[in-house]
Amino acid sequence: MNRGRRFPWVVFLIIPIIVFLAIFFLIPYANMVYMSFLVKPETGAYLKVFTLGNYARALGDTFYWKVLRQTFWYSLVTTAVTLVAGYPLAYHIARAPKRWRGLFLIMLISPLLVSIIVRSFGWMILLGKVGIINTLVKRYGGPELPLMYNAFGVVVGLVHIYLPFMALSIAGALQTISPDIERAARSLGATPWRAFWRITWRLSLPGVFAGTLLVFVLAVSSYVIPILLGGNNVLVMPIVIVQMLLDAFNWPLGSALSMVLFGGTVALLWLYVKLMNQALRWTTR
Amino acid sequence: MASITLRDLTKRFDALVAVDRLNLEIQEGELITLLGPSGCGKTTTLRMIGGFESPNEGDIFFGERAVTWLQPELRNIGIVFQNYALFPHMTVRENVAFGLEMRREVGARVRQRVAAILSKVQLVGMESRYPHQLSGGQQQRVALARALVVNPAVLLLDEPLANLDAKLREEMRFYIRHLQREFGITTIYVTHDQAEAMVLADRIALMKDGRLQQLGSAEDIYRRPSNAWVAEFIGLSNLIRGTVAGRRDGALSVRTAAGVFSCAGEDAAGEVVICVRPESLRFGQEHPNRLRGVVRERVFLGNLLDYQIEGPDGLRLRVQADPSRVFAPGTSVDVSFSPADAWVMRAEAR
Repeated sequence: MNRGRRFPWVVFLIIPIIVFLAIFFLIPYANMVYMSFLVKPETGAYLKVFTLGNYARALGDTFYWKVLRQTFWYSLVTTAVTLVAGYPLAYHIARAPKRWRGLFLIMLISPLLVSIIVRSFGWMILLGKVGIINTLVKRYGGPELPLMYNAFGVVVGLVHIYLPFMALSIAGALQTISPDIERAARSLGATPWRAFWRITWRLSLPGVFAGTLLVFVLAVSSYVIPILLGGNNVLVMPIVIVQMLLDAFNWPLGSALSMVLFGGTVALLWLYVKLMNQALRWTTR
Repeated sequence: MASITLRDLTKRFDALVAVDRLNLEIQEGELITLLGPSGCGKTTTLRMIGGFESPNEGDIFFGERAVTWLQPELRNIGIVFQNYALFPHMTVRENVAFGLEMRREVGARVRQRVAAILSKVQLVGMESRYPHQLSGGQQQRVALARALVVNPAVLLLDEPLANLDAKLREEMRFYIRHLQREFGITTIYVTHDQAEAMVLADRIALMKDGRLQQLGSAEDIYRRPSNAWVAEFIGLSNLIRGTVAGRRDGALSVRTAAGVFSCAGEDAAGEVVICVRPESLRFGQEHPNRLRGVVRERVFLGNLLDYQIEGPDGLRLRVQADPSRVFAPGTSVDVSFSPADAWVMRAEAR
């Protein structure tokens, strides 16, 4: 009985991470929120005077709305494509014999060992005007294909780097489903397709939701890929924010735009989580 | 309902032969257990019958119909797995109705049949629960109800009681037997538990290394094991190696290191093993087969005493006797057994 009353010293183990997050995440973030309410003078970075003007500009300008819409749209397309491509991948990994599974997982993760910038240059070599694909197409008399410096190039790049996150999330969920459950459905008269749709797909939804959330959030905040593969033709919020902070030297407006992106993302995720809970009711009852 | 026939059924996984030319005929309405240690091929056999594995050779018939290459959903089977494999995202009612729904039945008929089967397995009032809200025994009965509600031609049970505690397992054995009789459904029951097999089965198919070792009633297998492996797997046994010396008065005469014994058994020649069950060995000289030994150990088991006896030539015998006479360790004793209780069989497993 003494055990129960003893002070749980293990809670101190989480203190380092709390300190770390406070210093490198919470304080800078709070500073950014503070900054978004300050006035940008003609010269200098900011004046410590309260204003809502930055938000009025960020929300009042249709340009920013358009960029926000595009950002969410590209992220949505990226999420959808990684889901469609990643699900079969995850299924095969989860159902592979144990001795192969480790190898498949390493193959899936190995691209993450190469920096995003290097991989983007790889795509540029493939997709560029005089890139490998266009050279081949033109040699056989085809037209020059617009593969890069447009939305297509950006989505290709995003799908490539975020696919492992999707596939890993889904494979994790699929591995917890006993193959006997599918067998039971088959024995009861379900065709393979119906057994998948009614049973396996439903049971893998937690993994699908985790993967889509992860990929969407990563895609919304991605900067390197849209810059390198989109050129200046694809504007997404992170690009506009960085331009505002570094090129225009307008920290208050850049901060306000960050808050708008954050708020918009949270609103979408909130909606999504509501839908999710509806579909996953059976896990919580 | 249908009989099941397996003809030369063979399944290989790379170099491993999981099931080796298995021949089995299961009568309509019969309950047969596939019994054997893990890795003996019993589950693979069940999966082939269910359509989840394809055999490399051989055929499977339900009645006259060859189903060897038929998809599982076209076989009209009911199956219960060791882990129950209930659909965790569906309620008890939805789980049980799933098979009917797949058969495109709708409305009042489905409700009626689901209600009827749930009352049969004593789960009335549990319809809206999810599997994780049920006890192991209740989940087990949902799995049975789900398999039976579609009136399958055959019922396949894969170690269905292995995850239950001992007391419930005991109860469920009789319950499953009762349910199977009531439905009169041809049933294959896979288990590694010989007590379970003996309680449940009309006949037991004993398997080892993918091969059928013996097929028969529990009594058959216990009294007349086909080889030494079977004798050791089912019940306790004393095995005495020897050679057939001849046949006299319808009994086999077997020469062993402990003497010449007169035994029952089919025609045998050469190297054989005699199986004498511990309860067939008697103290004293009442039977014609006699030997002398020394009591090495004695254990009190309540209804009987369990002795380890050391006989001639280092022969170890286990004797189970009623506790009316007690022999202390170290005592010299006479032990005898009747020719009828000495069963001669081949030394090697198939």
